[in-house]
Amino acid sequence: MRIVVLVKPVPDPGEERLGDDGRLDRSVTAVINGNDEYVLEAALKLVEAHGGEVTLLSMAPAGITDPIRKALAMGATRAVLVSDPALAGACSWSTTQVLAAALRTLEYDLVLAGADTSDGGGGVVAAGVATLLGLPYLSHARRIEPLDGGVRVERLSAAGHDVLEATLPAVVVGTQLLGEPRYPSLRGIMGARAKEIAVRTLAEIGLADRPVGGAHATTALLAARQPAPRGSGRVVRDPDPVAAASAIVDFLVERRAL
Amino acid sequence: MRLPAGGRCYDRRVVAAPALGRLTDDQRAIRDAVRTLARDRVAPRAAEIDRSAEFPEDLRVLLAEQGILGLPFPERHGGLGADLLTVCLAIEALSAACATTGLILAVQVLGALPLLLAGSEEQLGRFVPGLASGRDLIAFALTEADAGSDAAAIRTRAVRDGETYVISGGKRFISHGSVASLVTVFAVTDPEADRHRRISAFVVETASPGFSVSRLEHKMGIRGSPTAELAFDEVRVPAANLLGAEGDGFGLAMRTLDRSRPGIAAQAVGIAQGALDVAVAYAGQRRQFGKVIGEFQLVQGLLADMDARTEAARQLLYTACEEIERGAPDAGRWSALCKLVAGDAAMAVTTDAVQVLGGYGYVDDFPVERMMRDAKITQLYEGTQQIQRLVIARALLARKP
Amino acid sequence: MGGGIWVVGEVDAAGALTKVSGEAATAARALGDAGGREVTGVVVAVEPDGAAASLAAFLPTVLAVRAAEMADRAAAAVVAARIVALAAAVQERPAYFVLSAKPDGRDLAGMLSALLEIGVLVNATGLTWDAAADSVPAGPRVEMQPFGGRVLTSSGFTGERGIILLRPNMVTAEPLAQPGSVEECAPGEVVDLPLVRVIERVITESPGPSIEEARVIVAGGRGVGGPDGFAGLRELAGLLGGAVGASRAAVDAGWIDYATQIGQTGKTVKPAVYLAFGVSGAIQHKVGMQTAETIIAVDRDPDAPIGEFADLFVIADLAAVVPALAAALRARAG
Repeated sequence: MRIVVLVKPVPDPGEERLGDDGRLDRSVTAVINGNDEYVLEAALKLVEAHGGEVTLLSMAPAGITDPIRKALAMGATRAVLVSDPALAGACSWSTTQVLAAALRTLEYDLVLAGADTSDGGGGVVAAGVATLLGLPYLSHARRIEPLDGGVRVERLSAAGHDVLEATLPAVVVGTQLLGEPRYPSLRGIMGARAKEIAVRTLAEIGLADRPVGGAHATTALLAARQPAPRGSGRVVRDPDPVAAASAIVDFLVERRAL
Repeated sequence: MRLPAGGRCYDRRVVAAPALGRLTDDQRAIRDAVRTLARDRVAPRAAEIDRSAEFPEDLRVLLAEQGILGLPFPERHGGLGADLLTVCLAIEALSAACATTGLILAVQVLGALPLLLAGSEEQLGRFVPGLASGRDLIAFALTEADAGSDAAAIRTRAVRDGETYVISGGKRFISHGSVASLVTVFAVTDPEADRHRRISAFVVETASPGFSVSRLEHKMGIRGSPTAELAFDEVRVPAANLLGAEGDGFGLAMRTLDRSRPGIAAQAVGIAQGALDVAVAYAGQRRQFGKVIGEFQLVQGLLADMDARTEAARQLLYTACEEIERGAPDAGRWSALCKLVAGDAAMAVTTDAVQVLGGYGYVDDFPVERMMRDAKITQLYEGTQQIQRLVIARALLARKP
Repeated sequence: MGGGIWVVGEVDAAGALTKVSGEAATAARALGDAGGREVTGVVVAVEPDGAAASLAAFLPTVLAVRAAEMADRAAAAVVAARIVALAAAVQERPAYFVLSAKPDGRDLAGMLSALLEIGVLVNATGLTWDAAADSVPAGPRVEMQPFGGRVLTSSGFTGERGIILLRPNMVTAEPLAQPGSVEECAPGEVVDLPLVRVIERVITESPGPSIEEARVIVAGGRGVGGPDGFAGLRELAGLLGGAVGASRAAVDAGWIDYATQIGQTGKTVKPAVYLAFGVSGAIQHKVGMQTAETIIAVDRDPDAPIGEFADLFVIADLAAVVPALAAALRARAG
């Protein structure tokens, strides 16, 4: 199976901040988006079981390779990074077009993506990519199983799950239920250095004269502020559980919850 | 108060990091990977390991699976062929979370070094794959009840009998003695020879008949690391397990310690850094007299001194690793210097960390009292601080003017 | 007059309108009133009448589209194709779409974005309408709380069109005094997207109010220690008339199912009471419950981050407090 995993380098969760230009401050340490690690793990397990290779596809500023190296260290074969100064400040619609264009230059059976991103992304890009490429789209997966020429996905539903099937190639969005991602082994880390990260500009993926990138963003950040802090609370430290329970009941009564 | 209590950490950031410029990309990546593992999987277990004094077999398995135990071993036999600095980076990162866990890698290095320094290709092929995969642990058995600092005075005997040696005697204070499947044993093969030519080194399988663990020590610190008294009752060892030639043992032990002491220094630097992190976080949140205590100069003074000592120890350690790796003729001096400075730093920094936390530093709700107890051993094993001073002074005095 | 605002009703497996759709409709109405735009509801389903009628409680006009394919095809592709066809067929093309930010809504938004070539603002926690400013024309302003809630941002669309995804439980649904009307619509020429077959629908969860609608939530985290610990929490939830929630740690450990997970990768809740046991309160969880009216946390770790934002933080062994609290509540009731 040839699997492409869409990975997004994001600021380390907890460290995100906006720069003075209102855009995400990219100088903060970057890591692979948490949800992408889950689908990457799923991809690695699929190729371990059925043969094949995993290619990472990312749209990010050129210097940000550490998170991609870490994903390579987990076991992906190679990475393609679309990088172009014009992409700074790009909106999700641009990202959708860029990733679709990049996929048109690659060969694959399956495209996997994570549910959403920790830096404010909404998890809409993968659906858009599938639409632009005319591919079946299966989302919210808790299980992915290859079939002959197709894929079966268990999609989480409010009441349990639905079993979906589609032909390949297809785009699948996964959830954390796919299974804990592995820590890259040290051997993997040392081997990652030799793996290829191919950098592509917009021109190289055929988007030279297209309205994508920060200058054509469909959305704009207008204001940012810190939320009002929640008032400080009460602390009760009592070794007697009955007294502690009593304190809770009293508090609930005080808050008119009981 | 947002602090790691009793070993559990939330999003604890390491306060200080060495200047990145001196590390290669691989070294940085490995250090970061081990740090992540230490934060996520080791730190939550640290308090319990200390409380139960049980060897963390689950963490040994984890270190093996992640390839960490393979770091010191040659690639051609399944290891990762990492240099001394890289191994020390891993020990440091693990020790910041749990000194016992950092010691798993450090003792593996200590136990295996005689084999790596003097073993034949046949011996390497026999033993290294199991060690590199982490399936086998190896201990270093030199010290005896009456022979600590005076290592040449050991009395365990190895008598040649055809194609085997028969080893009888006892060893004391042997780290991992009860969990290792292999032990590098130093024994007297020629009682009549010169002091430094009497001893030979052997790789002994602990499953051998006659080998037993006669006691486990109850220690002040690194309580999860089993420290064993070993008894050898006519243990038969194939002559093919002799490392080098008869009589090479003492020199091999000394050369081993020259390369293994940085591992202890790394453990010490890790412990110091872990304690500093807790103290800094505490000082930033504990309020007294209407302010966070980090605003008081006496506290600031403590923290600054702790950072200076830790960073100085770290930089010396890294330099020592680089010097030893490149084959510096005074490797012994570098090894002793870094262990001397780091051990004393760890003791001072952890003591000060308890001081910063005040009464809370003395109770096990916070990890610094454990770190202080853990730190003391770094001034004692692999050569006491006093022995380190002798090594350094001799190296200085031996220099040609 | 600019294009209208369409609210796409989200329909569950039983064909009923989900709660967030009423919230989206209410928010859209406020936008329409402020911006002078017409607001229309759209429901695409196998049998849309019920859900369309429910949505009409909130909007003056609702278009109901019958799509038999949704019986055994993944919904988003079917709905997206019909919405696009409908949008092309109506007199005044819609300028803005308001959808649910839940997974179904995100799927639909991504497809609509690509088909209509318009932008998306996700995870809205509030919607207003504002006059033109720097880079944006007069239009919707979307409030979001990225980075785990550490920042409050306001964003707009640089053009005259866009898709907005609204998080559940951020807006209170307000029905109209008089319900609106439902109009059955055939969308005309539909260009189908690649279809995905639904082979089977497996029901595993017991029906009942979802935690997103519960007034009281009793949540368990890593400190609960195992699946058995959750039995005590279920009892408390029963006594308080609430639902059981969980942090990601408990779900990842396999102690309770993902449907109860609250947080960044789970559900967002806004209950009157959030009672947390053994939940550390790390940011990924906090985002999912920080707007609860009253937060009570019980944990034996004095440094747990939840202690910083709980209204009452009880430092104690939850294994003892849970049964003690159940006993105290029973005593009150009895």
